[in-house]
Amino acid sequence: MEIQLLQQPDSAIAKVLLERDEEIVAEAGSMVAMSSHIGANTTLKQGKGGGLLGGLKRMLGGESLFLSVYRALSKPGEVYLAPDFMGDIVVYPMAGQELVVQSGSYLASAPSVHIDLGFLGFKQALLSGESLFWLTISGYGELLLSSFGAIYAVEVDGEYIVDTGHIVAFERSLTFDTGKPPGSNWLSAFLGGEGFICRFKGRGTVYCQTHNPGAFGQLVGSKLPPR
Amino acid sequence: MNKIAFEIEHQPAYASLILNLQANQTAIVEAGAMAAMDAHIQMKSKMKGGLMQSLGRMLAGESLFLSEFTAVGKPGQLYLSPGVPGDVQHYYLDGGRNSLIVQSGGFVAASPGVTLNTQFQGAKGFFSGESLFMIQASGQGDIWFSSYGAILEIPVENEFVVDTGYIVAFEDSLTYSVEMISGLSMRGLGVAIFGGEGLVCRFRGSGRLWVQSRELFNLLNFLNPFRPTKSSD
Repeated sequence: MEIQLLQQPDSAIAKVLLERDEEIVAEAGSMVAMSSHIGANTTLKQGKGGGLLGGLKRMLGGESLFLSVYRALSKPGEVYLAPDFMGDIVVYPMAGQELVVQSGSYLASAPSVHIDLGFLGFKQALLSGESLFWLTISGYGELLLSSFGAIYAVEVDGEYIVDTGHIVAFERSLTFDTGKPPGSNWLSAFLGGEGFICRFKGRGTVYCQTHNPGAFGQLVGSKLPPR
Repeated sequence: MNKIAFEIEHQPAYASLILNLQANQTAIVEAGAMAAMDAHIQMKSKMKGGLMQSLGRMLAGESLFLSEFTAVGKPGQLYLSPGVPGDVQHYYLDGGRNSLIVQSGGFVAASPGVTLNTQFQGAKGFFSGESLFMIQASGQGDIWFSSYGAILEIPVENEFVVDTGYIVAFEDSLTYSVEMISGLSMRGLGVAIFGGEGLVCRFRGSGRLWVQSRELFNLLNFLNPFRPTKSSD
């Protein structure tokens, strides 16, 4: 397949050109437009942790991933995929290593890429009661990641700290540890609006986004009419 | 018909439309889109079809509030911004039988020679029960429309399928039908979300189509869990 990234960096959209009978897996609801002979199928991939959330009836954001599979039936075709937030898209070539991806940053992947929802490394509730959850990606093929705001890579060699809401993905070669920002206590961290931080150690790449979806959601959502 | 001189700046994510009106030239603009203008430009609110018809449409969830801006006596400049960050696209209607179908939320401005038909029956069912509707623009003159996210122009040659939430505008040389693709529907999966019915529009024929790279439903679904809940929390 060929992937073209258009309209970068703020309103990026991916144009996927599929060979005949080729498939691409994508977050459900991300299809903008496609050739008329593309077949689609949507399923729910559930996480193993029942955790704080429960039940399928939750709004999207719980530990479940709705995926659609698009297949070019009998001749080549194209599918346009768009993320939810204003921001960018990055194509990460999976080649046998493991990548941990924030669930909201997953956009699409080749069928040969394996998606696992069982990453229990860290999981915490955001102020709203929603949790940030993580996917472990492995296998071979293209992986499309999206960001809220701009996306930038940090090559960690030693130690590095990133606020968890700003993490798009990180290579599993890094060890990580979550906690509060250094020098803060719980109260000041809460009032200061800083969430949990992730301390990375070792060598590997962390993909970061300039904006924090949880912070944005909290800021805007809390002002909307109650549900 | 005099064409209206214009510039579009800050594309594709934060596009802003600048209209350079000649002396005594008028532009029809979506109410609320004016960001800034020269002091001698006069604004007049123009309710299509009169007050009662406008109220009726508003109650039915279909309203298009328009204003007329005229540069009185000398040329003037008008800065227009759409409501959501995104792109702006210009189209010229040449007065023939062709019309442009535009998503109502995307209308920004037009020259007075353009007729806007908001009672366009052919587009029923595009959006399920929302206050978004399609407008048919015909006549002769300029029209500008906006999007959420960037605008992509797709020249359709045979057939093409678009999720209805991402349609911005299309030439009516294309025939279209709204369908539900069950393979895209999330309804059967027991989740309460906005959209997700798998509604697509299948375009056939030859003509141009404009889609946007972001959709408001996805943003709404993301924000929904953050809303305060009615029960005491």
